[in-house]
Amino acid sequence: MRAERNAKLDSPITYFQSQVENCLDYADMRKKKGAKIVGIMCEYTPREIIMAADGVPVCLCGGSAEMAESAEKCLPSNLCPIIKSTFGYSLEEENPFLEMSDFLVAETTCDGKKKMYELLAEKHPMHVVELPQKPDDRDAFKHWEAELHKLKGALEKQFSTSITDKKLRDAILVMNRERKLKRELAGLMKSENPPLTGRELLEMKSLISAIPDDLEQYEKALTMLSGRTINPSAESRVRVMLTGVPLPHGAERVMDIIEDSGGLVVCQENCTGLKHVQEDVDETAEDPVHALAEKYFHLPCSVMTRNHGRIEQLRALAGEYRVECVIELIWQACLTYDLESSWVKRLAEEELNLSYLRIETDFSPSDSARIALRVQSLYETVKGRKVFNN
Amino acid sequence: MFYVGVDAGSRTIKVVLINDEDMRIVASGICNQGVRQTALAQELFNKVLFESSVERKDVGRIVATGYGRNALDWADRTVTEITCQAYGVSAQTPNVRTIIDIGGQDSKLIRLDQSGIVHDFEMNDRCAAGTGRFLEIAAERLEMKLEELGENAEKADQPAAISSMCVVFAEAEIVGLLASGESPENIIAGVQNSIAKRIGAMAGAGIKSPIVFTGGVALIPGMKNALAKLLNHSIRVAENPQMTGAFGAAIIAAEQRSVINRGRCNCMVAVH
Repeated sequence: MRAERNAKLDSPITYFQSQVENCLDYADMRKKKGAKIVGIMCEYTPREIIMAADGVPVCLCGGSAEMAESAEKCLPSNLCPIIKSTFGYSLEEENPFLEMSDFLVAETTCDGKKKMYELLAEKHPMHVVELPQKPDDRDAFKHWEAELHKLKGALEKQFSTSITDKKLRDAILVMNRERKLKRELAGLMKSENPPLTGRELLEMKSLISAIPDDLEQYEKALTMLSGRTINPSAESRVRVMLTGVPLPHGAERVMDIIEDSGGLVVCQENCTGLKHVQEDVDETAEDPVHALAEKYFHLPCSVMTRNHGRIEQLRALAGEYRVECVIELIWQACLTYDLESSWVKRLAEEELNLSYLRIETDFSPSDSARIALRVQSLYETVKGRKVFNN
Repeated sequence: MFYVGVDAGSRTIKVVLINDEDMRIVASGICNQGVRQTALAQELFNKVLFESSVERKDVGRIVATGYGRNALDWADRTVTEITCQAYGVSAQTPNVRTIIDIGGQDSKLIRLDQSGIVHDFEMNDRCAAGTGRFLEIAAERLEMKLEELGENAEKADQPAAISSMCVVFAEAEIVGLLASGESPENIIAGVQNSIAKRIGAMAGAGIKSPIVFTGGVALIPGMKNALAKLLNHSIRVAENPQMTGAFGAAIIAAEQRSVINRGRCNCMVAVH
């Protein structure tokens, strides 16, 4: 009975399972109509400016263990697997989106990416956006706004087009709509009995933003999924907040371990979760570039020092989603998230009184049993505490 | 009624049988781990029952722990070794705050809060340096018996510096030290110090007492002293240090039943 009912309600979830194919079709269609494909690798990159240049921003972040291995011919092995995988795809010419890209917009999110981009730029035309490092510095915002103007100029020059305020506002409207839908979808997890798993929610995303069919499916999901149930039921599971590094397509292994061991990821504070959809862009602002600069400037990226925004976001989300523990995922050699984990651990344990677990791994499955042991032990502690406190 | 904990570890299997009247160990057994994990654990369990004249029908519940816990399909439940160690050690030392567990192939540092609940833990399970396997390899190289290691380490005048982060390379380092005329006593003291340093790195700052030492390596003379010296804290070796995980598993097995029967508080501090 439940299976039958779920099957009907599942159609938006099933739709996103073929997101790569959907995106390929969409990119092909747009390219044929004269649009430019623009590869991006960070949520700090303002997609709106690319869209206003009749560009189709597509995420190129790699999640393949195989490609990460391949990149080691060229890159150091002790490097973040996302960087390795993204670059490995380029070496092997296996990422169709990268191969069809007309331009890449890169950014200085970390030293590893920054230097990898130099090598990637040998094959692909690229513009690098410099992110602010000290968000509290009085010059930081001005510098960031100037960077967005430079990006706008670079795109105009590359595509011989002109980015008007109207085009920017149109892009802002559609991106705000998508952010709102994704926020509301994630908000379903606030329920005592969330209608989907963290893994299912993670899959309900797209490499390309604001595809009209995607937006329709998000809307459909919001109305349809509320009647759905998951198995095993949410009551028997530990409510987990997953934070730290993003889980690009193909790198969902840790999410699976967390949920297969008796947890439910009700909240993802990372770049494949809520981090970038928490704030919208002012649609009525006189200067749309300024408005865009404002929104992205507030993204609590671990490359910033100090990154107080992330701690504030974690604090708020932990309450809203009533999480019972915090699991932080660190990709091997991700120095910024690794070092920042000290602050997150302190917040969880000392202020929020939540158990905290830090998992450092890469894309290869060799340590899955070891991770499962840690996660199971964490849940035993969470449940033990619950009994003790009652 | 009797309750059983089975700890299917990486090097040995341990079975502990307790009586829920007083939560004391009635019988226990240990055997080497092997290819036939499930059968070996079953045989050991049967042997423990036979030797203590307890019948299978008088065993209320079985909890499995350790690396091989999921393979033991005849257990009623599995619980991780972290939680089991916390239960087992708390039962012996109710106010324990830190457990150092060094087994055959991994080492753990478990911190407990004041109420005896696991606060957090660190594990070294990516390499064999810092585990019992390192001591076995070193002992073999130095032609010493494991039980002689402490005695020999005490004779060291200047413990050698073993700096390799990997057992395979450390073995080569030992060969090199022997070739350069270093005494086996200094080398073994150096090996023990290097394991202690690994544990020290896991402990970080602010290690809390009482500290209890468990796992097979706690039986090796000299390791307790090496750890105490490095951590600058006194360290207590657990009673039957190889058995604390299985003991904890048995307590959890018994406790689940007793919660229903006697309304006992289902928390670690209540179990001793």
